[in-house]
Amino acid sequence: MKAVLKTTVLTLLLLLASSFAVFAAIRLSGGDVTAARLPASATTEDRDLFRHQLGLDRPIIEQYFTYLGNLFTGDLGNSLTNNASIGDLAVEKIRNSAILGGVSLLLVFGIGIPLGMVASLRRNSWLDTGITSFSVGGMAVPNFWLALILIHIFATSLGWLPSAGQGGFKYLILPAVVLAAEGIALTVRMTRSSMIENLNQDFVRTLRAAGLSERRIYFKHVLRNSLLPIISLAGLRIGQIVGYALVVETIFGWPGVGQVLVNGVLRRDYPVVQFFSLLLVFVVTMGNLAASVGYTLANPRLRK
Amino acid sequence: MSRFRRFRKNRQLVAGSIIGLVIVLLGVFGPMLFGDYADQDLLLGHKPIGTEGAFFGTDALGRDLAARATFGIRISLMVAISVTAMAVVLGTLIGLIAGYVKGPVDSVISLIVDFVWGFPLILVAVLMAASIGSGLVPVILAVALVNTVAIARVVRGEVLGISEREFVAASKAGGYSTFRILTRHIAPNVIPIALVLSSYYIAVAIIAEAALSFVGMGAQPPLPSLGQMVSEGRNYMRLNHWESTIPGVIIFFMVLSVSLVGDGLRDLLDPRLRTALDRTS
Amino acid sequence: MTVDDTPLLEIRDLSIGLRGDGVGYDIVRDVNMSLYRNETLAVVGESGCGKSLTALAVLSLIASPPLFITGGSIMFGGRDLTKVSTSEMRAVRGAEIAMVFQDPMSALDPMFTVGTLLTSAVKAHHKVKSAVAKERALEALADAGIEDPKRRFDEYPFQLSGGISQRVMIALALVNNPKILIADEPTTALDVTVQAQILERLKDLKDERGMALMLITHNLGVVASVADRMVVMYTGEVVESGAVDEVLASPHHPYTNGLLGAVPRLNSGAGQLVSIPGRVPQPYELPVGCTFADRCDRSIDICGVERPVLEHRARTEVRCHNPVG
Repeated sequence: MKAVLKTTVLTLLLLLASSFAVFAAIRLSGGDVTAARLPASATTEDRDLFRHQLGLDRPIIEQYFTYLGNLFTGDLGNSLTNNASIGDLAVEKIRNSAILGGVSLLLVFGIGIPLGMVASLRRNSWLDTGITSFSVGGMAVPNFWLALILIHIFATSLGWLPSAGQGGFKYLILPAVVLAAEGIALTVRMTRSSMIENLNQDFVRTLRAAGLSERRIYFKHVLRNSLLPIISLAGLRIGQIVGYALVVETIFGWPGVGQVLVNGVLRRDYPVVQFFSLLLVFVVTMGNLAASVGYTLANPRLRK
Repeated sequence: MSRFRRFRKNRQLVAGSIIGLVIVLLGVFGPMLFGDYADQDLLLGHKPIGTEGAFFGTDALGRDLAARATFGIRISLMVAISVTAMAVVLGTLIGLIAGYVKGPVDSVISLIVDFVWGFPLILVAVLMAASIGSGLVPVILAVALVNTVAIARVVRGEVLGISEREFVAASKAGGYSTFRILTRHIAPNVIPIALVLSSYYIAVAIIAEAALSFVGMGAQPPLPSLGQMVSEGRNYMRLNHWESTIPGVIIFFMVLSVSLVGDGLRDLLDPRLRTALDRTS
Repeated sequence: MTVDDTPLLEIRDLSIGLRGDGVGYDIVRDVNMSLYRNETLAVVGESGCGKSLTALAVLSLIASPPLFITGGSIMFGGRDLTKVSTSEMRAVRGAEIAMVFQDPMSALDPMFTVGTLLTSAVKAHHKVKSAVAKERALEALADAGIEDPKRRFDEYPFQLSGGISQRVMIALALVNNPKILIADEPTTALDVTVQAQILERLKDLKDERGMALMLITHNLGVVASVADRMVVMYTGEVVESGAVDEVLASPHHPYTNGLLGAVPRLNSGAGQLVSIPGRVPQPYELPVGCTFADRCDRSIDICGVERPVLEHRARTEVRCHNPVG
């Protein structure tokens, strides 16, 4: 337990440090805010005054903490694009991304683990070869291309599903599938190899000799042992999903954090970029932390 | 049984190498063969594959897809190789130091390495782009960063394992300097692993560059990045799907070939390697 | 020591072989063995002689594919175990015939506590409440010679030493009161001091519960101190069997003779260690006739031609054309 605490504290410190780095990089390259807010006729003194009022001439560390302070009081600033309150924006975008991400994770483990288990049971059969090749291929296909193909097939040609936007379950299917694709492939492979490895362990023979049913041995004992590496995978998946979401949300026009961030970068909307960058750094770090803590707790050897 | 397996794995290696070779050749000689990628001819837009004069067809602005695609290959390769070269060198160095020196130095390095490692590549690239602007540079930097860290992790693990072994203790006892031990004994054991790992990361680099270019953050027009081509062709899927399909297929084969070669290499250096590598993915 | 007339377990002409991928040869050949109540039968032989496979076959634990039972029968309780259904076999495993394996450290599921493993074993055979199962588990742990059963009940396998792990395995085997306990090299992986204790325990348990104990080992010392009858195996077949006192006192098969001669004696006054010349042939390269012939100093012409049959010879059974004595 001590180790867990230690890791958590250190991770939080690193979070602070890296969020500061991100903050500084963005703010320092932020371009001239005055150009966006003040009319072109403003004099240098006006600009300096403006900057001073915004606190932009203070040392960067102080600016960082001021920013954090603002965050805690709920003042997130406004988007440069349309002056919308980032706070409002955040709530909506976060909710949308959470839905997409959550469904994807469900797909990744809901499809990946069972398929991996099936493949491990029917080892070297056609089913197994099929599943394995599929997952190898799945990892090589760039997800944006997959997105386009799926859109072309399901939306453009067949017209079954919408190609972009949001507004109900139908809109969620394609983006969630594309987002989950690589994760599924990876999970299938990991589950399969983990199960196979454990099925060959001595302890399985002991359990059989004691008269436990194959079913119980497989689902209770072998599975529990196999899930360990997959748990550590789970937290990392969150990070991966965040990464891919940036692209997937953009392609499908899904109004989530990813899309907002990408657009923000392209349009140089610094307040937006600032906030959502930090948000994602935070989410990923927490996901990784949860994964390692989860792993430590799940493995009795490490728990003590 | 083992001979059969080795052969089969070598087939992976062979297949991957052949595909890779074809692609590299296309990338090297393509642009010369197919002409200028920026050459527009608005009258000849959206031509499909097999059109006379344009082997792969043309895009919206009448530019020769073959010329663009092969140049795109060059860009992908360039990014991938420069990134990997940097990452292997730096990553191995860091890993060697952390693993050999151990102690507080190792703790600090490991902490930072583990932290960065947990970040998805695309996010890092976007953050880079947010900081220094769009273009190929942030892509290269971001991919290099993540790859370096990944390699450092694996190398460190291997070094830790190896430095426990007797021949290192014997060398130390014999009075050899740290540098000599590192270069003579540890590095040769560690470099093969780093190389195999980098094959995986070349694939990652290729996809990352493509993905970022796809959303507009990578190579800027008129530079024809494969990802960008897929993005541009997207609006014309019904008209002439080849504009997106061709670069997409090329990306797929690039990644496939790299994966096959990587897997093949890995099994060649079997079985010691497998445990170390499995731990990372 | 009362020995019933009818054997509890009877292995008749059992053959186990490798099949598949174009290969087909037998590893265990026409093995006959009987196990009676209240006795300890030792199955002895070098690594690879097929003794473990034979034991595993009893509980249908051999890895099929590629290994299969290619002939013979295993009679227990009026049924042939090689022909029973999976559910019948499952009912036998652990409850009527139990097995203890060689390497206890890797043989216990690391993700569950000792207690969970034991109660699972109980519940696999009896519909009882958890409290009852726990009681039986604790009893079994105590019977196996574990000092603080309650504490061990909540511990994980990685927290246990080799000796304790093995006792846990024994407890696992005993918890459902089996009639037969098969122990495959139960002490080979343990320290010498612990070995003796475990063997003692097994013997006592056999006596207390009226079980039959089949002990697989390559250690003749163990056989001498614990077993009542013994079976010697070589290249997958039984070459000699009989009461331990008889066989050890006057072995008739040259191989048994050689094994005994090879045991180093501390009081024999220096000299070289005696070993049997040559090496054990692999199952796929068995010679015609007697498989021991080329290493035997008593071989005669017929040995290279005709495989000897297991026959009675005074008080023991021997498979040899030219036995000793």
